[in-house]
Amino acid sequence: MRWGLVLAILVIWEAVTRLGSLNPIIVAPASVVLLQVFRILFGDTTVPNFYLNTAITLGEVIASYLITIVLGVFLGFVFASSKLIGDAFEPILLVLYAIPKIILYPLLILILGIGALPNIVFGVLLGVFVVIFNTSAGLRQVEPNYLRLAHSLGYSERAIFFKVVLPAAAPTIMAGLRLGFGYTIIGVITAELLVVSVGLGWLIDNATVNYLTAQLYALVLITLGIGVAGNSLFGAIERRWVK
Amino acid sequence: MPIIEVRGVSKTYEDPVTGRKTRTLDNVSLAAKENDFLILLGPSGCGKSTLLNIIAGLVPHDADGGEVRVEGKRVTGPNPKLMAYMFQDPVLYPWRTVLRNVEFGLEALGLDKAQRHERAFQYLRMVGLEDFANYYPRQLSGGMAQRVAICRSLALETDIILMDEPFGALDEQSRIILGDELVEIWRRVRRTVVFVTHSLTEAVYLGERIVVFSARPGKIKVEIENRIERPRRLGEPESSRMVDALWGHLKGESLIAIKRARAEEERLELPQE
Repeated sequence: MRWGLVLAILVIWEAVTRLGSLNPIIVAPASVVLLQVFRILFGDTTVPNFYLNTAITLGEVIASYLITIVLGVFLGFVFASSKLIGDAFEPILLVLYAIPKIILYPLLILILGIGALPNIVFGVLLGVFVVIFNTSAGLRQVEPNYLRLAHSLGYSERAIFFKVVLPAAAPTIMAGLRLGFGYTIIGVITAELLVVSVGLGWLIDNATVNYLTAQLYALVLITLGIGVAGNSLFGAIERRWVK
Repeated sequence: MPIIEVRGVSKTYEDPVTGRKTRTLDNVSLAAKENDFLILLGPSGCGKSTLLNIIAGLVPHDADGGEVRVEGKRVTGPNPKLMAYMFQDPVLYPWRTVLRNVEFGLEALGLDKAQRHERAFQYLRMVGLEDFANYYPRQLSGGMAQRVAICRSLALETDIILMDEPFGALDEQSRIILGDELVEIWRRVRRTVVFVTHSLTEAVYLGERIVVFSARPGKIKVEIENRIERPRRLGEPESSRMVDALWGHLKGESLIAIKRARAEEERLELPQE
């Protein structure tokens, strides 16, 4: 069913571009784009150092995500453990979350210079909030009866945390990690496109300014593919772990 | 010596927001003997669940001279070696299988892995759920889930089992069936059961002794011995007479409780338009 939909979209795309009056500079036909994808992947194009740049981007994504989850989960725990700290910082966090963080990007460039670092930091800025909120909410919102049961059985607070709170909060925390991943990738790639220096963002920019339309679409598709692959990986991990 | 002794226990609940004090239990005394099936019956809000929680050690009573003794010792906190507590909701952990949920109670007792497994299976067989050991709670019906909860409480092998309206959320057929099973198990393993309910028929069907509470603040109105022979049948004339007698005591209290609930709703002040 899903593949049928994809096929339908490709067919319509091909038909519209071939038969319609769209400027080929704006939209390239599906077949040409797909051909480009293969050519890029097999190194047979004008794309400069595709795998090197992709590796850089992936490296940025991984670094950014690792920081996001460590920082996000840690802060989530801190906010959940103390009502005082949680209540004190929650409004600050919400305000930061509400700001369109893209306006902070020029500031990042100023402070960190051009290169991979501001991209990594930007990815963290985008992804960390959802991880914090989900972790904190997951830990705080354990069903009271789950805790009452453990208490009635004489379990210590420490035992209750490991045996009841953590497993109960796990699905929510995992959801936060998954969303965080999506946001982090968006953050990294957006940053790469804004101030272009290396990575997939640079390749996309390169194709844009040189009007290599088919290449541009191909690169976008590849980037999308990476995002989808990442998400599927997550789904698989989640399924095996959470049962 | 009675296995559970409650003497002069009161409970005042203070609302942390408004500071209003509500007396939920007023100088309650009762006792349960070994192998008793004691029913705590009363209108909603009368404190019967509160009393059960106090006996279980989950909630402290007012420090004004009352005391609760279980097997001769004062109750200071939950004691899973002595008393098993059942909620109205089965409270099964969704990340554990049926078997592991039963084992959860046993893990608190310090048994080793093999012993836990053995005992959990033994009790699963007793409630007829051994084939469902590896199922997850979401795959069970309400009645089955509550059976697992009963199993978990039984597996603790405590002398006393406290139950707070355990069949309240089930449909009538399940209530009757599980009630029968509970009585069957009770006769077999010889434990003391204290059972909270607001259902007159359930009280008469299951209980050996029935304690009737007044409306809030809860006091004991009357204690009735139920000597109707077991196995009991629904709709027997003796049972119906007893239900009628209980209702005679309870009706007035229930009306008070309802009137009070309505009055409390009406006392809400609406903002000036």
